[in-house]
Amino acid sequence: MPHGPGQARQPQTDNTLDGSPILPSIIQSWHLRAVIMLLLDYQNVLIQNILAERFSGVPPASVDQTVSDFDGVLFHISTPETKTKILLSIQIRCFRDLVKYGAVEVLQREYGEYATDTEPGYDFSVLIDLEQLPEDRDDREALVLKFALLKRNAMAAPFEAAYTEHYKLKEEASQYTSEEAPKGVLEGGEVMSIHYREEEAIYVKASHDRVTVIFSTVFREETDRVFGKVFIQEFVDARRRAIQNAPQVLFRNDPPLELMDILGEKHTGSGDVGYVTFVLFPRHLTPQRMPDVISHIQTFRDYFHYHIKASKAYIHSRMRKRTADFLQVLRRARPDTEEKERKTASGRSFRVQN
Amino acid sequence: MSQSLRPYLQAVRSSLTAALCLSNFASQTAERHNVPEIEAETSPEVLLTPLTIARNENERVLIEPSINSVRISIKIKQADEIENILVHKFTRFLNQRAEAFFILRRKPMKVRECLFPSVSESPIVALAQWWRTAGAQEPGGEEGYDISFLITNFHTEEMLKHKLVDFIIQFMEEVDKEISEMKLFLNARARFVAESFLTPFD
Repeated sequence: MPHGPGQARQPQTDNTLDGSPILPSIIQSWHLRAVIMLLLDYQNVLIQNILAERFSGVPPASVDQTVSDFDGVLFHISTPETKTKILLSIQIRCFRDLVKYGAVEVLQREYGEYATDTEPGYDFSVLIDLEQLPEDRDDREALVLKFALLKRNAMAAPFEAAYTEHYKLKEEASQYTSEEAPKGVLEGGEVMSIHYREEEAIYVKASHDRVTVIFSTVFREETDRVFGKVFIQEFVDARRRAIQNAPQVLFRNDPPLELMDILGEKHTGSGDVGYVTFVLFPRHLTPQRMPDVISHIQTFRDYFHYHIKASKAYIHSRMRKRTADFLQVLRRARPDTEEKERKTASGRSFRVQN
Repeated sequence: MSQSLRPYLQAVRSSLTAALCLSNFASQTAERHNVPEIEAETSPEVLLTPLTIARNENERVLIEPSINSVRISIKIKQADEIENILVHKFTRFLNQRAEAFFILRRKPMKVRECLFPSVSESPIVALAQWWRTAGAQEPGGEEGYDISFLITNFHTEEMLKHKLVDFIIQFMEEVDKEISEMKLFLNARARFVAESFLTPFD
């Protein structure tokens, strides 16, 4: 299987004020991950590591770190007042979009008691008091994971809204037969757009029998575009070949019809933009599967581009090796000029006098 | 090795061996200069007729001999967009390492334009030019070659001639193999990646 040089999710760090042994543990864990993991984690590993260490009962220390995550998301983890109170803030580019689709409610639900005044320059903050942690070890781990999933939870809001809308529309549609249903029910709700990167967006649309998630993605260079095409073609074919129950995946370079109203005429047919559509069917839309499906589909864009980059890196290393082989062949063309040391009968050797 | 590859490589090998008959030749136009005549193109009478060996419309080799240098340009097979990108990446990678390869030209040959049209003094020179340009014109005349080598008499003096030919032939063989292996890898990886992403939905 892919022997590309893997690298798991490893957010960058700076500003490590306390000289704690966080770094080795990260390196260790991502080495492990590189071997066994192909999929990306949903949580932020660095935050998970920092908090796990703080929660493990070590003497409180001051922390001040900026942690970056995918899609330009920035975390700030610090102890502004006392060493026992950790403030964790998140900054998301598209927070205004998310608020429109109920992010505040979702975050309140998830972090209700921890939510605090938002740190200036960030979009949402939680305050963790180390003196009031749950006693049980498992509870603590769950809490760590919960905070590490901050980005996922913030981004989940529009998806949850789509799920809710889908249930509602399904309810309404079940009262009609397919012919006589009023137009609004069949067409489904409005398209929610989340501009989570500078030029890229996720669009979510619910209707009574499906939820459509569309990623617009930009390819920075020709190689990425071509590799992306190969990858996406396999996504499209996978359903036909191996995984019958997977969501339907569609790819096109011009915007899908659902987005015509939003994008209008301005985005037509430039080759750098691709639109990847996931159609989630009722079997993915059960309340039990909701959290997993939402987490998983969020990672699509990063996963996709990560594997394109990894393939490029692998091909590069391959070319390096092949080039070395060619050099070896060429070197054979050079006759051996090395002269053997000549000796006299008595065993003394000649030396050239300069 | 496929049926048509063997004669193709054999033809390249014998033509190359014949062309690599080089001698030291000082420039006739600049005193105390000694330059590869095939690149300088200042003395048409020391340039020989170029030769194209084509396996099909996508794969061919252009051998341009002269008195003290030979230029070999190779067009590598590219069936689709992916191979196109891979060939481009690979040749660029090699070109950046041209220094280490001695005989590799930093830039591949593009299709030849008509050479120095104004300088022709004698009918012989004009005829020689006509031959050269006529011979170098490509059937399709499209985008040119992917990689070029330049072997001068200094190279043949230092290195073994038959080994140089071996190198070119081996290069031609392996580059095709490498490109198709990389393409297979890419497809296999894409398939695996897509399936593992979609499996959790199942």
